[in-house]
Amino acid sequence: MTLADRIAEYRDLVEEWLHGLYHGMIEHPAYELIEKEAEDSEDAFMFACFADAFGIPSPVSYYTAELLPYLGEEFQQWERRMWDRESLIERKGQQYHF
Amino acid sequence: MEKFVFFGGKGGVGKTTVSCAYGLKCAEAGLKTLVVSTDPAHSTSDVFDQQFGDDPEAVAGRENLWAMEIDPEEEVERHMMDIKRTMTDQVSPGIVNEIDRQIELAHRTPGAYEAALFDRFIDVMGESEEFDRVVFDTAPTGGTLRLLGLPDFLQDWIERLVEKRSKSIDLFERAAIGDREARKTAREDPIIARLTERKELFEFAGDTLRNDASFFLVLNPDELSIRETSRAIEDLTEYDLGVEGLVVNKVAPEPDADEDGTGARYLRERYENERDRIERIRTTFEPPVVARIEQRVEEVKGDLLAEVAAELDIDVATVPA
Repeated sequence: MTLADRIAEYRDLVEEWLHGLYHGMIEHPAYELIEKEAEDSEDAFMFACFADAFGIPSPVSYYTAELLPYLGEEFQQWERRMWDRESLIERKGQQYHF
Repeated sequence: MEKFVFFGGKGGVGKTTVSCAYGLKCAEAGLKTLVVSTDPAHSTSDVFDQQFGDDPEAVAGRENLWAMEIDPEEEVERHMMDIKRTMTDQVSPGIVNEIDRQIELAHRTPGAYEAALFDRFIDVMGESEEFDRVVFDTAPTGGTLRLLGLPDFLQDWIERLVEKRSKSIDLFERAAIGDREARKTAREDPIIARLTERKELFEFAGDTLRNDASFFLVLNPDELSIRETSRAIEDLTEYDLGVEGLVVNKVAPEPDADEDGTGARYLRERYENERDRIERIRTTFEPPVVARIEQRVEEVKGDLLAEVAAELDIDVATVPA
């Protein structure tokens, strides 16, 4: 192995580490934050569509039921989230990884 | 006169008779006419002595006249089955049960019946090119008139749903940092497509009701019916749908002056009472009284229908588009 190869290998390693560091400190938390926000707003959407799943009569649930075939998986996850979620703080706190 | 004519009013005032009579009048004037009944206790069949179904059927022995009867319950069932069928194509069998429950729930909410009826209204209005005039005999539930005010309300609601959905998709797209694949994209989202489609239907319904429809209220000369009519006028005006006229039905006949039996006295008193009420209807309500139909001894059907039709002072001619 020539010296040049070893330097290249070393540089790859450093690069990978740096990227990992960047991903862990900046990229991933940012990604997670936005995705959580997206999920939250998705929950709001689901609630507006299917409020009757929680006993609140909704004037449009007859129409939004048409969406269910396309929302299948999401609907189930959402329902479970809604039943499980204990408080807003609990959910908002998740991002800090205590 | 607009293409779509609605007859509304309290239960039992004779909406079906009046709508059928008006339909007949239009048909005899040479307009291809369809009478649509939305009363689950369909009496159109009784008036024409013929069974009608969910599709327009020619009325036997009458030219230019078609009739159909909408059954909201059947419609709700069909809607539900449609969704379930689509679902089995789309979703893995594991979650079908869970979602089945939600679908059934949605079809048993109080609004489902109304929504189904409304859907069929839109259908009929959308597919009515071949008819010159469509007469709706609305169900006597309090909800039916409210139904006509629905488009605006539903449009707003759906708009808000689209907004919410777009926002979360936007966030999902933004969450796809770097070369990650976004979990959802706005362009391919079937939900937004579906909702937008719905919204357009409601828009069409709203426009049609405002621009191409006339409303008539049928009432009897009695207190309850008058009060209900006054409420209905208020409601409709609030939705921007003006009431074109009032049809006073089941008016008692006046006995001859020389008659003086118990029956005649009763009738005379009643006649006078009703005359006062009709006068009140004339003066207090804004829409004009377009017809005063006398009470018949027999059920109105067959030849009697033509007689009633003659008493209707409602314009038949189509408004040039």
